[in-house]
This record gives sequence, C-alpha cells and structure tokens, in this order.
Amino acid sequence: MKTLLTACIALCAAAVYGQSIDELDGNDLFGGIRARHIGPALMSGRVSDIEGHPSDKNVIYIGTAGGGVWKSNDGGVMFNSIFDDHCQSIGNVAVDPNDPDKTIWVGTGEIWTRNSTSVGDGIYKSTDGGKNWKKMGLANSDRISSIEINPNNSNEVYVGAQGALWGDSKERGVYKTSDGGETWEQLFYVNESTGCSDLIMDPNDPNTLYASFWEHRRTAWSFSSGGEHSALYKSTDGGKNWKKIHNGFPEGKLGRIAIAIAPSNSSILYSVVESEDERKSGMYRSDDGGATWRHTNKDFGLIVRPFYFSRIVVDPKDPEIVVKAGLFGSISRDGGTTFKSLGSMHPDIHDIWFDINDNDKMFVATDGGLYRSLNKGITMEIIENLPISQFYHVSVDNQTPYNIYGGLQDNGSWFGPSRSPGGIESRDWEVIGVGDGFRVYPHPTEPHIMYSEMQGAEAIWRYDHKLRQTKTITPFKAEGDPKLRYNWNAPITTSPSNPDRLYVGSQFVHVSDDRGDTWRKISPDLTTNDKSKQNQAESGGLSKDNSGAENHCTIFTIAESSLDEQVIWVGTDDGNVQVTKDGGKNWTNVTKGIISAGLPLNTWCYHIEASVFNKGTAYAVFDGHTKNDKNAYCYKTTDFGQTWTSIVTDDIYGFARSFQEDLKNPNLLYLGTEFGLYITINGGKKWLKFDNNMPATAIHYLEMHEGTSDLIMGTHGRGIIILDDVSPLRQLTDEAVQSKLFFMETPVFHMNEESTFGGTSSEVQFVGANPSTGARIVYFLPKRHTFGKMSMKVVDMEDNFVASLSPGKHKGLNFVYWSYNSTAPVLASGKTFAQGGMVSPRVSAGKYKIVIQKGKDVFEHVIDVAYPENSVLTIEERKKQEAITKKLYDMNESLAYLVYEIDTWIDAANTALSEDSKLKKMGAKLSDELTLLKKDLVITSGDNYVGRAENQLREDLGEIYGTIAGNYDPPTASQMDNVALMEKELADAFARMDEIRGGTLKKYKAMLTKLEIKEPEMKPYDEYVKKD
Amino acid sequence: MKKIFLSAAIVGASLFSFAQDITVDEILDNYFENTGGRKAWSKLEGHKMSAELDQQGMIIPIEVYEMKDDRAITKITFQGMELAQGAFDGEVLWSTNFMNMRPEKAAAEATENKKRNLGSYPNPFLNYKDLGYEVELMGTEDIDGVECYKVKITMNPTMVDGEETENTEFYYFDAENFVPIRVEAEITSGQMMGQMAITELSDYQEVDGLYFPFSVTMRSEEGPGQTIEFDSIELNPEVSDDLFKFPGGEESEETEEAEEKQE
Repeated sequence: MKTLLTACIALCAAAVYGQSIDELDGNDLFGGIRARHIGPALMSGRVSDIEGHPSDKNVIYIGTAGGGVWKSNDGGVMFNSIFDDHCQSIGNVAVDPNDPDKTIWVGTGEIWTRNSTSVGDGIYKSTDGGKNWKKMGLANSDRISSIEINPNNSNEVYVGAQGALWGDSKERGVYKTSDGGETWEQLFYVNESTGCSDLIMDPNDPNTLYASFWEHRRTAWSFSSGGEHSALYKSTDGGKNWKKIHNGFPEGKLGRIAIAIAPSNSSILYSVVESEDERKSGMYRSDDGGATWRHTNKDFGLIVRPFYFSRIVVDPKDPEIVVKAGLFGSISRDGGTTFKSLGSMHPDIHDIWFDINDNDKMFVATDGGLYRSLNKGITMEIIENLPISQFYHVSVDNQTPYNIYGGLQDNGSWFGPSRSPGGIESRDWEVIGVGDGFRVYPHPTEPHIMYSEMQGAEAIWRYDHKLRQTKTITPFKAEGDPKLRYNWNAPITTSPSNPDRLYVGSQFVHVSDDRGDTWRKISPDLTTNDKSKQNQAESGGLSKDNSGAENHCTIFTIAESSLDEQVIWVGTDDGNVQVTKDGGKNWTNVTKGIISAGLPLNTWCYHIEASVFNKGTAYAVFDGHTKNDKNAYCYKTTDFGQTWTSIVTDDIYGFARSFQEDLKNPNLLYLGTEFGLYITINGGKKWLKFDNNMPATAIHYLEMHEGTSDLIMGTHGRGIIILDDVSPLRQLTDEAVQSKLFFMETPVFHMNEESTFGGTSSEVQFVGANPSTGARIVYFLPKRHTFGKMSMKVVDMEDNFVASLSPGKHKGLNFVYWSYNSTAPVLASGKTFAQGGMVSPRVSAGKYKIVIQKGKDVFEHVIDVAYPENSVLTIEERKKQEAITKKLYDMNESLAYLVYEIDTWIDAANTALSEDSKLKKMGAKLSDELTLLKKDLVITSGDNYVGRAENQLREDLGEIYGTIAGNYDPPTASQMDNVALMEKELADAFARMDEIRGGTLKKYKAMLTKLEIKEPEMKPYDEYVKKD
Repeated sequence: MKKIFLSAAIVGASLFSFAQDITVDEILDNYFENTGGRKAWSKLEGHKMSAELDQQGMIIPIEVYEMKDDRAITKITFQGMELAQGAFDGEVLWSTNFMNMRPEKAAAEATENKKRNLGSYPNPFLNYKDLGYEVELMGTEDIDGVECYKVKITMNPTMVDGEETENTEFYYFDAENFVPIRVEAEITSGQMMGQMAITELSDYQEVDGLYFPFSVTMRSEEGPGQTIEFDSIELNPEVSDDLFKFPGGEESEETEEAEEKQE
C-alpha cells in the first residue's frame, strides 16, 4: 500500500510539472487575468427584443444585437448580463408561461437584418431563471425570430427560424419540439431563401398559430427584401397544416410581414405588410382571426424600412392600443387607424414591452439602448446601466492615462479615458462625431487633434478639441476621377512615421501630409472593380434602401509599416490584398498567394496588420460571413505577400475580423472573432479561448497600447474591454509552467500618489472599472493550490515584515496587487474608533522581497519600487515626510502601550481576588488615578457618529499622524508645530504615568507581593505592536 | 488521517476517469470520506475559527463560532472594542451597529430565513435528505484551472423583501479530490440583485481528523473581494450561552447591558 501511495504521489507530481506549455489550454494558462469592462453605457447599443415575466412585473429580459441577454429583477432599474458564455446576437427571448420563474428560452441571431448584424448559433434554454444555459439545437438556424411555448405544456415549443441572411439554407421555417427541446421537427418550410420572420400563438388556443414567411437575401453589395414566397399563414391544428390568410392583403410580391394578436381579444390581429405597391404597404387589421383584413394605415412610420422595424405590440389590456416599431415608433389608440410618434428618444425602435399591470408604463428597445416611459410613451428615459455599445473600431493615444477613441453603430464617435477617479463614468466620455461612427484616431503627437467620420465617408472630420473647432476634410474626386467608392465603414488611419500624415481609402488610397487639408491619390483602383457589385441604387428589394451600407468594391483596411514608411498594405472588401514598397508608386496584388493558401475568392479582407518585427511580415484577416462562410481566416506572410500561410486552427469557433500582433513577442498573437477572443503563444500553432470575464461577443477591432501593454478590444455589443498589461503572457515558457511556482519579471513599480474625491455617478449608472494602481506581482502556478497553507508577504531586504498579501491560487497566472502601504499603527483602546490614526504609511522607494510560503516551500522574488515619475518632490523632502511619519507612528504605538498598561492595572485593581481591605482601598485609589489619566488619553464615552465625545490625546495624535502620512508631500511648518505639541502632550502623559508608577502603583505592587498575589501579566512592547 | 485521505484521493482519481457516470451522492460520499468521514462530521458539536483580518493595513482579530445547534457569532476585536456580526442565539439574529456600538436585531425576514434553514451544520450536504433539501449534479466546469463537479443544492425557500424565493447554492467540487473549491449563490436583494456572490475555498488543512478550508475569499463577480485566512480552527470549543445571546430585551435595558458588555 505504501509503495502504491508513493508511486501515486510521484505520478501526480509528474503529471503536474511535466506538461509542456503547448499542451496546456487557456484555463491552464490564463489563471487570474480578468478582462476589464469600461463600457461606456451612456450611448448604450441596439436592443433587439424585450420580454417580461407574465406575472411578476419586476422581472424583465432584454435580448440585444451584440451584447447578449440581460435580466432585471427590480422592474427595469438595474440589469445584469446573464448570457456571457454564448452567442451575444439575440433574436428572441421567451419565458415559459408554465414555469415563468425558471424556464427561459433564448433564440440567437438578431432578426433586424442590417448590414452589420451578427449571426446566431441556435436555441438555448435555462431552467433556473438564467443562471445556467444549455444549447438545445437548431445550430444552423442563423436567426431565430420567435419562440412560442404551449401555455399548458412546457415541452411543446414552436420556433420561427428566419434562417441564413447571407445565403441559401434549409434550416429555416417553423420548428416544433414536443420533448422540451431534445428533438425538433421542421413543421413548415418554404424554400432556401424564405424564412419564418414572425410566429405567434393564440393565447387562448395553443393549436392556433400564425406565421409570416419572408423571402430575403443580403450580399456584401446589396439587399433584397420580398418576393413570390413572402406570405402570412395560419394553422389551427398545432402546425400540421398551414393556410395562407391574405384575404384583403395586397396582390403581387410581398416583403417582410409582421403579425401580432391582441392579448385581450384573440380575434383581433394586426399585421404590417411590405408590398411592391407602396400605397398598399402598412398596417392591416383583422377582427376575425385572419379570415379577412382591412388596410388601416400607410403612414411613413408604418412602412419605413420593413427589414429593420417589423414588430407590432398590442396593449395587454386594450386591443385598440397598438404600437409599431419604426424610425421613431408609432402608437395608435384607435385600433391602428391613426398613429402618433412615441416620445423623444434614440431613433430606430425595435420592440416595446407594456408593464403587465400598468399599461401606462412601457419599455422601448432602440439602436441606442433601452428606454422606459411611465406615461404612455410620451416622455422617455434611458436605462443607464446597459454597456452594450457597438464599436466598429478603437484607437488609443499616448497620454497618461491614455484615452480610447472609437465609433459606434448609429451612435457617433467618442473618446474617453482608460481610467478615471472613481471609475470611468458616462461624464468622462466626449462625443467627437455624429451619425454612425467608425474609425477614430487621435493625431499621434498632438492628441487634441482627432479624426472621425460618418457612414460611407459622407463626412470625415478633423476636430480640434482645444479650440472646439471641426473641419470637414473628406477627400473629393479630382478631374478625371470616377465616383469615389467609400465603404460604409471607410478606412482612415494615421501613420507611424509622419504624425501629420493621414490615409483614407475609397477604391484608391488617398494620403495627406498636412492633417487632411490637401490630398493626393497614391494608388490606382485597388479593388476588383466588379461593376455587378456596384448597383447600390437598386438595393433594398421591394422597399428601396440605399443608405450606403451596401457600398462595395472598396478599400477596407490600410496599414503603413512602422519599420518602413514606403511599405503600405491594403485590403479590400472584395478580397484583394495589395502592397507597395515604394510609398505607392507601384502596387503588387498579392491575393493569389492567399488564394493558393486556401482562402475562398473574393473574401472580405477585414484587417491587415503590418508586423513590428519585420517589414516583409504581415497578417491578414478575412471575414467570409457575407458569403455565408463562417470560417475564420488569418494568414501570415514573411516575404511581402509573395507567399502566405494560414495560422488558424480548429480551436477557433466562428469567423474572425480583428487581429493584433504582440508588440514584444512575435509568437504572441491575438485574434478577435464573432464569439470572443483567442490568443496564441506559439505563433498560431494552437489558439486558446480567453473567457475570464470575457463574454462571447464580436470583437471588431483590437489595439495594443505600447506604453502599458494593454490589449484594447472594440466589441460590437459589449463596449470596450481591456486586458491590462499583457506582459506576463510574453513570459510564458516551458520553464515557467513546469516550475512549482514561477515569478514573472516585473517592471520597476512607480508608486501612485493620486488622491481624488471619486466619481459622481448615481447607483443606477454604469461605471467602468479602473485598473489597479498597486504593484502587480505575477506568478505562475502549475496546479491550483487547494491543500495546505499558502501565505504571501512583503519584507524588506533585511527580511523585516512590511505587509501581508492574499496570494492568488489559480492554476496558471496569478496576480496580486500591493498598494505600497505597510501596516497601520496599533492604536490605543478606547470607547470609539480612533479614526484619524487608521492609516498605513506608504513605504520608501527601494527593493522589497515578495515571499510566498506554500506548504514547506518558500519562494522569493525581489521587486523594485520607485517614487512617482512625475513627482516634484526632492528625495530630502520625501525622507523628511517618512521620518516624521515614522516618529508619529511610534508615538501612536507608545501611547497605545501606555493605555494598555493603564487598562491592565485598572482591570487588576478592580478584579483583585482578595478581601484585604487595605489592598481594596489602595486598588480603588489606583483605579481612580489611572482612570483620571486615561480620560485625557483616549475617548471613553460617546459613539462613532454624531454622539462622539471631545477628542483626547489619541484622537489628536492620530489626526496629525494620519494627515502627514496621507499627504503626498512633507509636513508644513504649522503641521510641525502640532507635532511638537503632540510630543509635549505625550511626554506629559508619560510623566503623569511615571508619577503614578512611583506612587500609588508602587505601593499597590508592594501590597500584592506581601499578599503573594501575582501581578497581572503584560505583553512586552515588541510583542504588543507586532504585525506579522 | 493523512493516509486515509491519500487513499481516498486515489479512489477519487480512478473515479474521475469515468466522471460522467458519477452520481451526486457519490460525489458527496467522496467529499465526506476524504475530509474525515460522515461519522466524524456528524459528531462535531461546533467549531471556532480565528483569524487576523488585514483591512488596508489594519490588523483586526476575528473569531467565528459556528455550533451544531445553529448558534453562531463572528466576534471582531478592534481598538479594545468587541463587535458582533451575524450572531444567532437560536431565537434572535443580531449584530453590533458600528456607529453607536449597540446590538441591533436583524430584520424579521432575515431571522425567519435563518430559522427556516436550521440544522445545516456543518454544511447543508451532511443531512440534506433529512432536511428536505434537494441536490443535483449540473455537470462539470473548469474553475481556476480545475475540473469540478457543479452541484446545485436547493434548501428551504427564504423570504426576500416579502416574496418567497428559491434558495439555491452551487458548489464546485474538485473532481480529483472532491473538496469544494467554490460556492456561488445569487444575490437576491439590493443593488447587486441578480449577480452571483462567490466564495472561494482553499488551504484545506486537517484539524483533529477533519479537513477545513483555512482560506475563504468572498467576492462579487467583478471584484477581487476579501480573503480571510484562518490561523487556527478549534473543534468543539467550550462556549457559554452568553456568547451568542442577544444582549437584552427591552430598549432601555438593552442599551445599558450592551454598554456594560463592551466595557
């Protein structure tokens, strides 16, 4: 048995320490790294669906376009994300009416099919109110429009699958499960381009269903809504048979059709129909369960952009009140005959939810977040804690703290700080562009100059933040130029070599060396210039929709090499990659090499990263989802594009858009996909999913801040997310992961002496997290520490105790922060808290040892602590402050020990177990004298709030100590006067105690000796003030 | 004890290879077996845990008492004052108010909730069937780089702001050695309602044959939280009724007695 045990231990040890780094997965390596979410939430983002609990007004769910599912438990004041680990693009949320507290269904894939919409990956179910989720299938349904649950049988669920947007697909139509989602039957299918865009169940009869089918298709260059196959159907036998119900509908081709039933009268139906005859588009009403229809309204608000706004919501109590989603949202109080707009809020309304008990109260889903009205939709207020903002791009400057710049879907362009007093608040963000925002850059050396744009480069702006002046600098076509084709998300970029240089891409590369005042074209048309993909005026299908969103055959990414300004890379949305090595005089189309390496032709080049290590090296990321291809494509060249190698592996789920090469370690690469972040530490041989506080959200852009080594993610649904200082990832080696505990190298830590008064946000506003300002100690553990003691402390180089820390115990990287403070002084016991003295002094600059004891093993690591880089103080001034702080620290502790001595003797005198009357009398005298002295040393009455008594010596001494220790600079002359006063008062106190010691106490001790009573025990001073 | 534990770990290791087949009761059996045995846990009358909390450099001694009969108290000693938190004497749940240093009863709902789930010592799994609790194996999940069994326990419902609310916690048992390394419970009231409160457990050490986590970190989903590292754990401590008892009944009497107690 003993042998077996020994063998097991040896084997276990080998298993733990023997793994090479390439064998480990993300959970083994990343350990305690946590993504930091900074929002912002002030502009919020697109909300696609709202669903409430049928009987608890406080429970409300929202599905979002790219930010997952959020739940409120308090009637819509605060929301929490409950779907972080899964696809964040949401089509529909449904609450089981039979089990509304627990059973929730989520259909993924947004159904408001704008150009930038993401994709879904199936249907999910929770049976505990959203704490845990299980994928229930329909993985290729792409977008789920509706989930209807039989109110008498939770196992019977009908699903409307809108299906693939960007290509043919058979996984669409109406599905049913009869076993709670284990298996699905396709009940109704039309064809490969027509999906179910709305499905509703009669609340009084679960066998009666209405389903609208929509023929539609998007390509990268066009959109088509409508056709022969769009139609509205009804089934009265639980979906077995379906009948078209068009009596009263327009003839000819139809587009998207919305359908709703009045909850209070299920004979009344409303439908909004997109018709090829626009005069016949709009609202239809049926009062006989769909047997006949009458056209009630064709106002702008009812017919605008059907692909984006096909949702009708009927008041739960009043069948005549009906709301239609739209540009502004329209509400009718006369059964759909006339409408007025909802109150002022962010435009583009996608869904409405009426409070179940009070139909004056409603929630409205928009492109700019969730709104709430308490007065029938007349005035609206935004929910301020939904950081679901949809960035297309982010960039950074080199200020301290650095700022982050970015543009958002329908929410303009902004910049805000990477940290801020009290956290990153809404008020920290400034708007620097309107419309849809995309690429935003600060001037590299004068960051008060900022560049931003709106959709399709309708305007490119240079904004002077100091002067508050905006100048439009969009390049125009010159004589002989064709029409300039700008992408919806047109590329702008600055230059690493020339701070005044700016690049803009149409089908040409435009360069300015004077911040956009004058432009020159440095390329021919670099796209395929395929004329068949340039008919955007015809885009939209039955309803024309030429917003610029389908502009194609355009340049999408431009990258100047930081090693050679003559080397410029360009990627186009129609699949070309071109490079120049002479600043634009000659361009080489290097696409062929990528196609040879496996890339399908004409796949959108989303990002090119010019390597910082070698000017012939670049990475190119391609996104095929607009061709219904959801594979990830990322290629590397080391020979200026002559040959390319794929660096993606099967580890990656979903298509990719963004990429970042680490600035220090060429094998450390970051890939942003539609479902989150992947990291490779071996140049792409193996990719590791990063999911520590990192939702599975689409990452549209990755940027690395050179000064801090932060990785900044511009997500399209969860705002900006940061991995702070990724330098430990650069140090992951076999040696590190095979050691019992391995300390990562750390930079010199500069103490932070900022002291601010915090933020101003209210409880209901999102506040982005700040990074820690402490010394970050990083170590790798090959196995989670679970058994035996593990402790961590800071000692000086002579091994004197400074502070204790709580060690991280994850498998993988662990991060422990030290605030540069030692321990607070021991303060005298009193009746109240000695608040002023509860300050731990900052340590001096110098070297310190971090000591970790793990079982019997001890691990040490030396760190270097320096004063702040921007400090104006001299070393002499710092030494003076430290010396006075130390003096006051010791004075506080000597007072504490004095009070301890007094208390010990008072206690002894009051509790002496002797009937000797002389001793008792002397004890009472001693107690009185000591109590009198104590009253002048510490507060002995009152409380910790407004009932507090007058300060005594402990409080005064604590206050001057706390003031000086807490200040960033040396004590002032008046503070030193107070220190002198305190010294005198403390000396007086000791003198008074000496008097008692030499008088009554001496006599009392003598009596004790005589009576053979033991003196009370007292800890020696060193033990009394010991901290470790 | 150490030998027993190691051999149990071997059993655990072999079970792990067919992890999918394991039942929740087998997980709990292994947990109790590996940490001292059901019999020893059942015999335990109470324990006292001592720690020195480091609050921004201030060292604050605390003592936590938990008793089989559900009496409990966390005693904090600070600058010569003693404060009670989460004290329960069998009838009254109470704490010291930090502003005026007087004892205050918890809201009736909190006391009621405490009483609804009596008998959960030393943890709700030991007698979960007798208590009417339900346990369910949710699957496996990676926690801190460790494959864990996720076990849901549903205890007696509690009242939250006037509404009866399901009372569940999720325990993550290390699949290799079956000790829980994380507990999650939904925050049911207040500003953070709907988020999970996370308790991380480590530094398991033996105390007279029973294994306890000596390091407990409590945090929210976002924050780094607060770690308590216990210096010692004493089994079956001698305690007096006064330790847990709410100091006083009527308001005036209550105040005076509390003041006396502190002095």
